[in-house]
Amino acid sequence: MHSHLLLLLLFSFFVSLIFAVLMRDDAREQLRFGGLLFGGFIASAIVLGWVMYVFPL
Amino acid sequence: MREATAERAQTANPYLVGLAAWLVPGAGHLWFGRLFKGAVFFVALPVMYGIGLALHGRIFPFELGQPLVALAALADFGIGVPSFVARALGYGSGNVVAVTYEYGNAFLIVAGLLNMLVVVDAWDIALGRK
Repeated sequence: MHSHLLLLLLFSFFVSLIFAVLMRDDAREQLRFGGLLFGGFIASAIVLGWVMYVFPL
Repeated sequence: MREATAERAQTANPYLVGLAAWLVPGAGHLWFGRLFKGAVFFVALPVMYGIGLALHGRIFPFELGQPLVALAALADFGIGVPSFVARALGYGSGNVVAVTYEYGNAFLIVAGLLNMLVVVDAWDIALGRK
């Protein structure tokens, strides 16, 4: 398993799942918060990826 | 469920709850009847740790001469029994030349840190704060 994107998705899924279940009690809120976290992880990774493409370290 | 949890929290020893929650991910929540949360932690955290091992991550040793390694070791052991089992079975030696080595470390370390948060949550429940 060498796909960076797949590993990013997997990592984001698990972290979002744990945080959502830990910090929210209602199932609906857990789903919403988890989805928000997951989306945030993916979006920020893509944005940072493009920033690093334009400004390589 | 809150009433049942409050009743159990009054009789539970928070130190014992904390120890159980650290050793077995989700045990603290299962102790207080929070079955869904406990089941999610019980399954997701060891799976995450297992993925880290499969990605050739390393369970770091406690080397106090290297503070960052010691901190990583502390995080690795935050998961409790799975780290002892992995070590006993010979996993977690890490393969630094593997492409996924750093990913593996991230999975191992974060799984341990997340379990520490879960332990704190169980501790709060035991003290009647949640």
